[in-house]
Amino acid sequence: MAIIVNLDVMMAKRKISSNELAEKIGITAANLSVLKTGKAKAIRFSTLDKICEVLECQPGDILEHV
Amino acid sequence: MINEMTGWSEMKSLKLSRFLVLGMEFLCAALLICVPFISRWYEEISTGVGLVDGSTFVPVCVMLYICDVFAIIAVNSLRILLRNISAGEVFTETNSRMLRMISWCIVFAGVTFAVFGIWRFSFFFASFFALFLGLVMRVLKNVFEKAVEIKSENDFTI
Repeated sequence: MAIIVNLDVMMAKRKISSNELAEKIGITAANLSVLKTGKAKAIRFSTLDKICEVLECQPGDILEHV
Repeated sequence: MINEMTGWSEMKSLKLSRFLVLGMEFLCAALLICVPFISRWYEEISTGVGLVDGSTFVPVCVMLYICDVFAIIAVNSLRILLRNISAGEVFTETNSRMLRMISWCIVFAGVTFAVFGIWRFSFFFASFFALFLGLVMRVLKNVFEKAVEIKSENDFTI
């Protein structure tokens, strides 16, 4: 798939750990890991909204099309 | 979930199915030993006609041995299927593969019956029903494969 998830880059910029982010957006650490490693097949708008809210960024900062 | 009227539950139903499949496995294994006796008995009572006349003993023996192997494979697949369902693993690749195996076993048994139809035309009916059942199982397998795909997508939607 030509969509790359740059979640780990944004997390490093905001200096936030996986567990902390997972807790703040209300998903399990395992699901966050699926998202980070690019294994996810889809992302809910509600999840994306929470991630953007917590990391103070735009969806385009997390998802990239190559 | 328990049915209030009958007191029957999903787990009881699964246990019954597993018990019946186990019984069928024993029956299929026993059939392997009894094939010559059944063939002899069939030859004595058989009155049908076919393209080839003469003794049906050897063809029935061969047909029963071949079909019994398919039956053992199919029943074993059913056992694995039920074991997985009992463990809560329903829509998995393994179960889909088991259903495919069962459908092919039924189709091959139908073809075997069709070949035996040369000796007795009445076996074409058995062949037709086996092929029909094989087709139904194949469609079920296709539905199951789609369900596995949908479940996988659902599991990986975050």
